[in-house]
Amino acid sequence: MSAYYPPEAYGELTEGIREILITAEEIEARVLEMGQAISRDYEGCNPLLVGVLKGVVPFMAALLPAITIPIEVDFMAISGYGPEAGNDGGVRLEKDLNVPIAGRHVLFVEDVIDTGLTLSYLLRNLRSRKPASLKVCALFNKSRRRLIDIPSNYIGFELPALFVVGYGLDYRERYRNLPFVGLLKPEVFQPAEE
Amino acid sequence: MGFIIRMPEESRDDTIFAHPIEEEFAKLLDYYHIEWQYEPRTFVLARGESGNIIEAFSPDFYLPGQDLYIELTTMRPKLITRKNRKLRRLRELYPHINIKLFNRQDLRNMMIKYGLDDQAAAILGTQAQDDDK
Repeated sequence: MSAYYPPEAYGELTEGIREILITAEEIEARVLEMGQAISRDYEGCNPLLVGVLKGVVPFMAALLPAITIPIEVDFMAISGYGPEAGNDGGVRLEKDLNVPIAGRHVLFVEDVIDTGLTLSYLLRNLRSRKPASLKVCALFNKSRRRLIDIPSNYIGFELPALFVVGYGLDYRERYRNLPFVGLLKPEVFQPAEE
Repeated sequence: MGFIIRMPEESRDDTIFAHPIEEEFAKLLDYYHIEWQYEPRTFVLARGESGNIIEAFSPDFYLPGQDLYIELTTMRPKLITRKNRKLRRLRELYPHINIKLFNRQDLRNMMIKYGLDDQAAAILGTQAQDDDK
């Protein structure tokens, strides 16, 4: 039996979805596989899993119990590009890690790698702190729009370069709580093409 | 075929962009501290009998850190045929060049993702860009 409510239980959120691309059950199974791979690869390393808020929350919450070795976890938050970000000053670290990472094996956990702009900034930041190793684990990958090459070691699913939401992915902060990933109906996020 | 190299401007303030979406894209790259150059190189695609250039292509951006050229277009899909043909020709003549096309939908989705509604709406209303560069 699935641990999730069926899509129709999410009412108006599901009404905004044109098509479910990845079901909750498929995500659950893939996250377990990723957890097994991480447990194998980091045996005896006591890795620190680092996530960037907020999109990574559902993935991180599912990944942690899928890993069977001792680990630690921490989070970062950065300002995003946008009309209210004060863009001219560049990206800002809004929440830093609580622990030093020099000499630690760090696994950066991300919900989605899209252009790679945010992730490349964060990886540069983390590399400057001299971790013993730094790898990337992302549940979703949108390689079509990649601008910055990101060496990713664990990837869950490839997504099309379209507007998708759910399982941490949002549109205007909504839809993150959907347990599946779906294509957003165009009428939700854009006016009709003239 | 050969190419023409142009000296890059020192910063975004010195650059004259051909289209507002290009300036927005440059702002986005600046925000994440990604080095870029605007139209630094023109690739010759065809020459006439006397060796004169009859067709060329200047990708909008070059990211030195990625060795990647980026072409942006807000043209409607039905008007993009000529640009796609130029890109195909460029890849044939210069197979070592890495180039990515960001189309109208990619750019619109990117603007929406960053909450830039005005810029996304502007793409909706955009007519074809000049395709002759």
